[in-house]
Amino acid sequence: MTLKECFEALGGNYDEVLGRLRSERLIQKFTLKFLEDGSYDLLCRSMESGDYAEAFRTAHTLKGVCQNLSFTRLYSSSAQLCEALRNGFTPEAPGLFDLTTQDYALTVAAIRDFQASIPQ
Amino acid sequence: MTPLRSRQKILIADDSEMNRAILADMLGDEYDIIEAENGARAVQIMQEQDEEIALLLLDIVMPKMDGFQVLEEMNNSRLIEDLPVIIISAETGATQVERAYQLGATDFITRPFDALIVHKRVVNTLLLYANQKKLVELVAEQVYDSELQRNMMTDILSHIVEFRNGESGLHIQHVRILTQLLLEQLNRSGAPLFSSKDISVIGLASALHDIGKIAIPEHILNKPGKLTDEEFAIMKTHTTLGAQILDKLPIYQDQPLVKVAYQICRWHHERWDGRGYPDGLRGDEIPLTAQVVALADVYDALTSVRVYKGPYSHEEAIRMILNGECGVFSPAMYECLQAISPRIPAALQGGEDAPNVRQSFFDTTQELLHRENLSVSRRTLQLVEQERVRNSFFAELTDEIQFEFTMNPLQVTLSPFGAQKLGFPEVIKDPHHNPGVLAMFQSQMVIQLSDMLRSTSPGQPVITYDCLLKVGGEERWHRIVARATWSSDEPPRYTGAIGKAIDIHETHLQLVDLERQASSDSLTGLLNHSSAQKQIRIRLNERPRGKYALVIFDLDLFKHANDTYGHLFGDELLKHLADKLRRSIRGGDIVARVGGDEFLIFMEYKDPLEPIIRRIFNSLLGKFGDFEISLSMGVAQTELVGHDYNDLFRAADSALYTIKRGQRGKGGRYVFYDGTMTKETDASAISDIDSRSGGAAEEEENHDAEGMF
Repeated sequence: MTLKECFEALGGNYDEVLGRLRSERLIQKFTLKFLEDGSYDLLCRSMESGDYAEAFRTAHTLKGVCQNLSFTRLYSSSAQLCEALRNGFTPEAPGLFDLTTQDYALTVAAIRDFQASIPQ
Repeated sequence: MTPLRSRQKILIADDSEMNRAILADMLGDEYDIIEAENGARAVQIMQEQDEEIALLLLDIVMPKMDGFQVLEEMNNSRLIEDLPVIIISAETGATQVERAYQLGATDFITRPFDALIVHKRVVNTLLLYANQKKLVELVAEQVYDSELQRNMMTDILSHIVEFRNGESGLHIQHVRILTQLLLEQLNRSGAPLFSSKDISVIGLASALHDIGKIAIPEHILNKPGKLTDEEFAIMKTHTTLGAQILDKLPIYQDQPLVKVAYQICRWHHERWDGRGYPDGLRGDEIPLTAQVVALADVYDALTSVRVYKGPYSHEEAIRMILNGECGVFSPAMYECLQAISPRIPAALQGGEDAPNVRQSFFDTTQELLHRENLSVSRRTLQLVEQERVRNSFFAELTDEIQFEFTMNPLQVTLSPFGAQKLGFPEVIKDPHHNPGVLAMFQSQMVIQLSDMLRSTSPGQPVITYDCLLKVGGEERWHRIVARATWSSDEPPRYTGAIGKAIDIHETHLQLVDLERQASSDSLTGLLNHSSAQKQIRIRLNERPRGKYALVIFDLDLFKHANDTYGHLFGDELLKHLADKLRRSIRGGDIVARVGGDEFLIFMEYKDPLEPIIRRIFNSLLGKFGDFEISLSMGVAQTELVGHDYNDLFRAADSALYTIKRGQRGKGGRYVFYDGTMTKETDASAISDIDSRSGGAAEEEENHDAEGMF
């Protein structure tokens, strides 16, 4: 699986990120690093505990990372969640959190596939 | 500059490790990156590292403290004035941006990050701030210098008065120091009334408080005993006389210094209770400046020796003043005096401490630049705008084109001013092949410059390169000062360069002119011997087969002309001859004054030489005033002597001397070196030469030599 194929699988825009970061090596490095990024776990915990200010902040962070890596699909759902939480809880938030969770799973799965295909 | 120090530190404050890592990767090669995972940590790092951090990249949405809170904290500690902040955020809403700018942010980077933009913004911001810091120091230095000059003039003037008074030379200085201490104390005890600049102006004006004494008769001024009523009445007029002197100044009437000095001169003997002179002002009617100087004057008078009294100690003087034994002052003045009392002896002992003065001017400058009196929010906005205006102003003023060259990506980034001046975009990709760059630089200059930079080392990375650049269609001399950037790996890799191009056209031309002056004879403007010799050697080497002639001639009876008509005439005669010589030679010929009345001509020839020499010889003859010009001329040819300068010169010289040893006064002649002459040759050689070249001067003596050419 190529990096570009990985981006297609996770609903990202490879050409766009290459235009900005200008190095396939960097993109690969940060794509793999995304697996270790803790923002999503923090988001889950704060949603569970009802700390919506913290949930806004973590959603915001996740959104920022996705934006930088051109993970367009996950960016879109996390950005919507972020806006839904900007001024505290809103009725749309839980639904958008579920959507974000789905997209996160899809993204992580695509990156894992890619990781597995890299010759050691 | 050591390579270690030169790597600037950038602090990245972002709660996402990923984002920090991406930014660090974009910048890491050239900067030391410090990371903070939240706002509180960022503030802590800035405090610990003090002035070490060159730039802060700041996220807005963060735990503990958000980006706005960090900016507010930086405003409280005034760190924002020295440390540029670039906001990184996806929050591009107008209110967010405006708020960040109001809080002193310099620039914005929006997500998603673009490697080029991040890099460029960081480089630009660092360049601008580095410049600005240098400029603030420079301005402070200049303000200090001009202030020092003014202080000196005022001191000299006041010492004239002191000298007449028989006061110690320190009185003026003491009054000034006390005045400044009192003013600073006044600022501390209530709302600050005086800026640093005010204090310095009032201190300066205090030196003039007794200037009116210049008009008081000396027998009254220096009378050891008590003054009679009549004498005292005259003495008292020094206040109004001083004020009049200032009032009648034809210029500078609007200067704060003159206005303040007027108040001080006129009213430094007024009393708070209205019983002083000359106007009997009471309480707040007396300007604060005059009150302060009056108190300073009284204190120093008490503690100094005067013709009519010995000195009191510091403690006695303070006690006497506070007891109301020496005039009456306002309660505020008494309070201030008590507050500064413990510090007075040391302050007067130490006199003015140069570094402190320097520091105070630095503060004044900072204050001026920062316009303290504006309200806080407006001030911040104003600051941002001022930075921009000031930077572009100074950049224009210095004619500096700042640039950064990076190998990867291969590009040159110009400062906005530089780009505008050159008519280039701010980023030029692949500059080695850019038509615009190549039109400005000759390609071999690009190669030379690149070679010079590559052959630097991390320890000595700076180069200077002077060259002609075509800017706006005009070729002008520029000096490029650049610093190669080397990576920190082992072995270090050349990664590019930063630098600036300064327009040195005028200076360069002056230098060239100076060189020309150094190589020419100051009387006649012709080349001097040593530079002519250099040029001739170059010609001889360039074309070893060329036919050249070296001619040396001098004026016959020049000593006689000097003795008869004077040396001034002699000088004029030499100038006249030099002018004629200049007019009678051809473009490529070299003419020089060898020394005294001896001249030299060097020329290439193809045709028979003799007619050329005859033409030149005759063109130089004629009358100057009453003096009939007569020359003796020796000619040596490379055909006979060879291409060695010394040989040529010796040969021409020998030919000349063969004439000189012959009969004088018969008018001059020219002689060709024939290979047998030496300076010691006997006179018989002359007839041979005469017969060959003819007594040219005599043959053509009826021609009007000047009219021929």
